[in-house]
Amino acid sequence: MIARPRVFVTGLGVICAGAGNVAELRRLLLAPKRRFAPPTVFPAAGESAALPVAQVSGLDLALPDSLPRTHRLALQAAKQALGTGPAPDAIVLGTTTGGILTTEFALQAGSTSPEAYRFHGLHTVAEHLATSLGIRGPAITVSTACSSAAVALSLASALLRSGQARRVLAGGADCLCRLTFHGFRELQLLAPHGSAPLDAQRAGMTVGEGAGFLLLESAPKQPAIVAEILGTGMSCDAYHATTPQPEGTGAALAMRRALQDAGLDASAIDYLNLHGTGTADNDAAEARAIRQVFGSRLPALSSTKGLTGHALAAAGAIEAVISIIAITDGLLPANTGLQTVDEKLELHPVREPTRAQVGSVLSNSFGFGGNNACLVLGGAPADPAAIEVGTSQVPAAPLPALRVAGAACLTARGDLGQTWQALLAGESVAGFVPEAAFSKAAPAAFIRRLKRLPRLMLALAQTALRSSGRSTPPDLLATGTAWGPLAETQDFLRKLFETGDQFSSPMDFIGSVHNAPAGQVALLLGAQAPNWTFSSGDRSFEQALLCASLGMAAGEPSALVMAAEAHEARLSPLFDPAAATGALASDGGAALVLLPDDGAPGARVRWLGENRSEQDSGNAAALELCARLAAQAALDRYDAVAVSVPATVGANADREILRLTEVLAPCPLLAYRDRLGQHASVSATATALAARAVLEGVLPFGTASIPLRRQRLLLLLLGRYATAIEVFA
Amino acid sequence: MTEQTDSLVVELAHKLVETLGLDTTAEVVDPAAPLIGAGLGIDSIDTLELVVMMEKDYGVKIDTRAAGIEAFASLNALAAYIRQHRSASSP
Repeated sequence: MIARPRVFVTGLGVICAGAGNVAELRRLLLAPKRRFAPPTVFPAAGESAALPVAQVSGLDLALPDSLPRTHRLALQAAKQALGTGPAPDAIVLGTTTGGILTTEFALQAGSTSPEAYRFHGLHTVAEHLATSLGIRGPAITVSTACSSAAVALSLASALLRSGQARRVLAGGADCLCRLTFHGFRELQLLAPHGSAPLDAQRAGMTVGEGAGFLLLESAPKQPAIVAEILGTGMSCDAYHATTPQPEGTGAALAMRRALQDAGLDASAIDYLNLHGTGTADNDAAEARAIRQVFGSRLPALSSTKGLTGHALAAAGAIEAVISIIAITDGLLPANTGLQTVDEKLELHPVREPTRAQVGSVLSNSFGFGGNNACLVLGGAPADPAAIEVGTSQVPAAPLPALRVAGAACLTARGDLGQTWQALLAGESVAGFVPEAAFSKAAPAAFIRRLKRLPRLMLALAQTALRSSGRSTPPDLLATGTAWGPLAETQDFLRKLFETGDQFSSPMDFIGSVHNAPAGQVALLLGAQAPNWTFSSGDRSFEQALLCASLGMAAGEPSALVMAAEAHEARLSPLFDPAAATGALASDGGAALVLLPDDGAPGARVRWLGENRSEQDSGNAAALELCARLAAQAALDRYDAVAVSVPATVGANADREILRLTEVLAPCPLLAYRDRLGQHASVSATATALAARAVLEGVLPFGTASIPLRRQRLLLLLLGRYATAIEVFA
Repeated sequence: MTEQTDSLVVELAHKLVETLGLDTTAEVVDPAAPLIGAGLGIDSIDTLELVVMMEKDYGVKIDTRAAGIEAFASLNALAAYIRQHRSASSP
């Protein structure tokens, strides 16, 4: 048996309330003093002006003001982790805020220039880091609420173990903003006097901000190794949009999966860094989950959120750094903020910083949508020989092709069948999905609070699953959405601004979270599988496919991969100018049920690559990617190349296509957004249609239908980032 | 309704249906029936939405568990809670 590559940590970076780097965090953990105070990065009115938060001070002032706060926090921590080493192969980032703090000010000021919102998208954080640090490979953005960074570290581990990368920068970043501050406040989850995790009188969390990064390598030089990610585990409660399953069964499942992945017994864990937000429900459910996993022999444990605040999507990475400090320094961090332990929890947290030998640590991160992610961390290996084994075994094989067992799409013309017929008739399917096409996805009571995006997603998931003939929920759920639930975001901020920053809607806040739709899908399907939401602009679907492929390469037996956008009249044109291109403005998306390629009849889909070009032209990245693909296998094995050209790529789209045509000759090149519409998840729709086309042996396109003799299509995305997917029979 | 129609109760019934997107009409909501956990399907998230609405539209705070139990016992109870706690300056 070939040993899988190991995941070594060779660099750390952190910024959070009270610490601007790892050395300062060390000192803070030794002498824990928290400085919670009311926010100053945005105006707060009324009683909320007195609510404490964990705000970062000492942000690098050399960076331009136009760069949003999350981007600046991320860059500061990422630079620390990378040090002076060469650029990594890829970056995996967890974030929920992106440029929202800046967007809030721009919306309130009534700015109607898309320029003011160019850093709004969650993907712009990872892309800004990639550009600043010279990272040319995948820049993956995952958004699973408060478990985002732990999920990012887990996906980065999967990239290394698959051999797709050898050096990955991974972590999370989030900043304080009005959306999360007022959202959590109206959910009555913010502690009036600061969080006191595990305390009998605990009254909520303290929302914080920051960033944490780990540089991960599968074949590092020995002296550089500071720690190792031994295992990761994820699950979804599939219980409620925000409340954890009271018995903690989903959390326990994720902890067990992480231990199993690490090949460790629960008794091998020396320290447990809790999610420990300080809310009544979280701490109670987590305590029960811990009992299920550890029985009566509990490791030393504490929540450090009473010290750092809860930095949301950054928390998992900041706490991974804290866990590593626990190992390298032999230090058990204190459960800061605690006065009297809640006896009902039956936990005995570390009260003061305590010296102890720490071999392995389990770190918990749980989030809205019931998304749980746990990491098992260990120290640097004592024997260099162990590393050599990993080094020599790194495979370089492409990711496996996956069989499409079921498919669904939604366009202005309706479902997959209706869309296909319209295309066969030579018609365009661009435009907005009619409500009738997705309104009956779930019972009225289930969807009464849901707006357009979750309803679209529910319909896609249901239809794809039904068409696969499978009744069991998928083993992985990977969702893409560039812009998330925009109607919910718009409604929340509108209500907030209308009341002078006083009142909004807890319902809209819950709905506005990027992974809320995927959480609803898990609820409807009863899927306790890992549940990821990727928010990576025009390649959100491609990243969902990439990460599902990583999971299936590691043995998961099935996946539901989907992506969708919901047009919102005010925000869509501001955030994604491509979505404002007249008749081509569109929304909708597609879902695929994927199984391993077992030789059964059906279409196959394979993720081939993602890369960024240093050239600022629409097709440079695609040209470079095609050159790489051509070096592996001749490109003339494809019947045609379907190309996604976002309207934002430039006015010279035709010329860009022409240059690509020269490279790809003799394959016909078809720019499909002209027919399918301009929206960020349209590549999902194109993939679902391509899966049908290769089986039928014909590609309907305009007045001509192109025969597919080889039954093989290449799908390319143009832009600063290019991606490639192949679909074949 | 046996008693004379209470305009505040009627107003609250409309707000309830509209704010929570309930699959019913204001006229059929029984002003004496429990609001939570009964036929309307109102849950904890709806309750938080109503708490915000009460403070925004009536200047009335529901900030303890006991207050919530008292206020959300029924539409009639909600109206009574508003009348009892509304400050003179509020609308």
